[in-house]
Order: sequence, then C-alpha cells, then structure tokens
Amino acid sequence: MRRFLSIFKMDLTNLFKSPVLVGYNTVFAALIILIMGLLTSGNYADARDAYQYYTVTMLIYGMLNGAMTASNCFMELDIKRPNLRIIYSPAGSFPIYFSKTLASFVFDYVLHVLLLAVFCPLLHVTLGDNPLYFIAMMAPVEFAAAALGTFFCCIFHCEETTSTLLSLTVSVLCILGGTFFSLDGLGPALAFISKLSPVKWLNDAFFTVACDNSLALFWPVFLGAAAVSVLLVLGCRFFFRTEDYL
Amino acid sequence: MENLMSVSHLTKSFKENKVLKGISFDVRQGEVLCILGPNGAGKTTTINILTAALGSDGGEIIYKGRPISRQLRPYKQALGIVPQDLALYEELSAEQNLSFFASLYGLHGPELKKAVDQALVFAGLDDRRRDKVKTFSGGMKRRLNIACAIAHRPELVIMDEPTVGIDPQSRNYILDSIKKLRDEGMTVIYTTHYMEEVEVISTRIIIMDHGSIIAEGTKESLKEGIENEKKYTIDIEENGKISHDEFFSVEGVKSVKIEGNTIEITSLKGVENLDRIIALLSNRGEKIKNITSENASLETVFLKLTGRRLRD
Repeated sequence: MRRFLSIFKMDLTNLFKSPVLVGYNTVFAALIILIMGLLTSGNYADARDAYQYYTVTMLIYGMLNGAMTASNCFMELDIKRPNLRIIYSPAGSFPIYFSKTLASFVFDYVLHVLLLAVFCPLLHVTLGDNPLYFIAMMAPVEFAAAALGTFFCCIFHCEETTSTLLSLTVSVLCILGGTFFSLDGLGPALAFISKLSPVKWLNDAFFTVACDNSLALFWPVFLGAAAVSVLLVLGCRFFFRTEDYL
Repeated sequence: MENLMSVSHLTKSFKENKVLKGISFDVRQGEVLCILGPNGAGKTTTINILTAALGSDGGEIIYKGRPISRQLRPYKQALGIVPQDLALYEELSAEQNLSFFASLYGLHGPELKKAVDQALVFAGLDDRRRDKVKTFSGGMKRRLNIACAIAHRPELVIMDEPTVGIDPQSRNYILDSIKKLRDEGMTVIYTTHYMEEVEVISTRIIIMDHGSIIAEGTKESLKEGIENEKKYTIDIEENGKISHDEFFSVEGVKSVKIEGNTIEITSLKGVENLDRIIALLSNRGEKIKNITSENASLETVFLKLTGRRLRD
C-alpha cells in the first residue's frame, strides 16, 4: 500500500505540474463557458440561462475529456520512461495503470469542482438545492472517463492514437448530445439521434439535479458510471502488458 | 564463485523473427558478467527477460535455486536495473528521483534518507542533489540513472548499455563505479558493444550474435585461442603490383587481406618476420606509409568468431 501511495503521489504531482493540463481544465474550460454563454445569451429569455446551460454542458465535456488526462499521464514519453522503473520494481503492474487512473480522476475532479466554486456565484449558476448531489454525481463520471483513457492506452499502446481516438469520440458524442447547441429543435430525426448519445443522458441527468431539484436520475447515473468504471479497470487488468512499456 | 543465477534454453521470437535461439548461461555471485554483441544480437531482449519485464517463449531462469516465476516479488526486490534509456523525472531533483525510486523497494524514513545520501555520493551528485534533472549534463543524467538502480542496495545489478552517448570522463566515472560495486560484493550483468569497457570491468564475458551465445569465458580464456597470433596493418602509397600469395612465402604468415592501399597480415607471434615483409614490399617497389602491429584483443576474438567487426 505504501508503494502504491508513493506512485499515486508522484502521478498526481506530475499532473499538477503540467501547465498544459492545468490550463486546459481551468482557463480553457472557463473561457469556453464564457464565450459560448456570451454568444448565445440572446437566444435565452434570461442571459443567465445561457451561462447555466453552458456551465453544465461544458463541465460534462470537460469531464469526458478527462480521458485524455489519463492517457497523457499513462503514456506521455517523459512519464513513460521513468514509469519503466515501476515495472522493474516489486510494486507490480497494477499500480501502473490504476494509480494513473486514480490520479487523473482526482486531478480533473478537483479542478472541475474549483471551477464550479468560482463560476456558480459569479454567473449565478445553480447546482440545485443541495449542490452536494451534483458534485457527488460528477465523481463516478470523472472516474469512468479516466478509466476509459487508461483502457484505450492499454489497447492501443500509444498516447497519440489514444488521444486522437478519444478526442474524436468525445467530440462526436458531445455534438450529438447537445453540448454545444441543442439538437432537439432541429427536427425529429436529429432529436432521435441525439437521444442515443450517452452525453445527452448525462446532460439530462445533471440538469434534472441542478434545475429541477430531482434525484430521479441521480442513482442511475451514479451506479451506471461506477459499473462502467469497474469494467474498464478490469479491462485494463486484462489488456495491460508490461512489454508495451519497453 | 557460487552460482547466483542459471539461465537455460531461453527462447524468444517477435512474430517470425527469432531473437533468442535457446541461450543458456550462469551468473556467479560477485562477478561482473559482460554480455557483448553488436546491435541486434539479442542483448536487450535477454536483459528484458532477466528483469521479468518481458516473458520468454521457452526456457527457465533460476535465481538462488528457485525459478523466478515462483518468487517474482523477492526476485524483483533483489534486482537493480539500469535501462538503456534514461528513466528519470526531468522536472524533479536528483534527490526526489532517488527518493521515489528507492521507496518502490520498500525503503522509508531514515533508512530511505541514508540510501539516497549514499547513492548521491556514489553518483558524485551530492552537491547537485536539489537541482532539477533537466539542468544536468548527459553524463550526470547517466550517473543518476545508475544511482537510482543501486540506491536500495540490490544483490544483482543489470545494466543495459549504460554508457551510450556520453563523454569519456563520465564513462570512466561509470566504469570506476562498477568496479566499486563489484568490490562491495554486488553481482553485475553489463551489456555493451564497447570492447574497451569489457576489457576494463569484466570478470567473465558472453559474446552474442544473432540471438545465440557464440563464446563464453574470461577475457584471458577467450584470447587464448588466438594469443599466438599478431596482426600487422600496413598502409602503402599505391597498390597495384602485389598479390596475396606473395606474402605466404614469408615464414609465419597465416592470412592476408588487401583492401585498397591497406594490407592486413595475421602472423604467428613467435616468428620475427616483419623485416622480411618490408623487404618483400620494397622489392616490389611499394612505398610504405605506415605500419602498426597489435596483439590479440577481444575485437580480434569477435572478428574471428563472427567474421565481422563488433560495430559493423
């Protein structure tokens, strides 16, 4: 356990020392919320609704992009080389991928919660009567995204391929899920396709908690994302090969 | 010396390419075993299998009487590995790197601090302990790379070409460090394609080529087979008149190789025939620019065994 904690601490430190990753999860996320909110504020009766919409949807977009934080933490060349020593050590292979997943989850989760802590009072964004439900529901989604990034690395053995595929997948799912603009008003066909995107389900669940004060979708999302996380970690265990690091 | 490790019939293929073709060797307690071979000989694959980071297709590795597969954790605990590429966190200091990597071997508290201090002194980096690795020279990084492998005082240190791409001063420092480790009783497996390093540090040598061991022994025993030979290299101004066969008329000449204006002659050691070779060349009107004579070296051993030079 001491060895695992040591590796986890190192992975987390490396993530927080990366200006690109910190910037992407804070400054970039903040800017995109502000820009999208500002550009679309005319379409809403109250401009605050635009910021409410984009804070939630862009947060989900950021959470799913956490997969790329994990792939960076796992396979980025400057990290990959010293990780070789972990493979050589008696710590075993489990900490290699699990610590990266856990560190990426903690990193993204902390930054996204901080982002909410700044934006909610600033833009009058509501997370529901009890914001803890909203924040709690974020946790398994963030973890599942991180586990997905690690899982892709275990399959493709390459950060570049993994990041390209993940970026493409997340972007398509987010466009279909109405992250950037709602597809519901663009005809029944697109509205139907949109409903197939898991991002749409997440958007609906988070808006239900934040705006309707309803927990109807809380447990399905919480348990569903937790189950996906477990499956992805098991997948990593199955597909991870130490020789991919050599 | 007592056997520490026995490797038997190790095989490994990558797709159709047979990289290891059933190699077997022993590693003795306290020795520096050098694995020598050109690029592609199978040295790094052997090392990767010995470190248990790569599985073999066949064969067995016995460490202290038990297969490593049945004692993976204690086996890894006993190893210190210096990979070919620098495996360091560039953004961290030398001390932080050492501290982290030593903690993976279960060291903590005052024990860890002591190990880190000793490793820094070993690497000659005590005065740069708090500096980030990215500010170090190539040689300093290489030394730290080794220090990270030995901080936890392993029984067996495996080094895969640890001196690649460094200046002669750092190379000498590293070679001296390895001799120091040997004197302290550590066993070292060292791969390289630098013959000079093997001459300096080896207790025993394994020569590999094309995935097989082609010779094994001490440097003295390996040279024994060709010790009664010496080689002349003669540079002439212009060659056009002399043929191989003419040299065989000189007593003691065993082989002749003419390449452009360079003539390489292998001769029996006890026969003083250089004056007759010079006379032969003078009689043919050849003007000699330079003559060198060398006794048997590991390079000659390798050349004789494989028909090519180590760095070809």
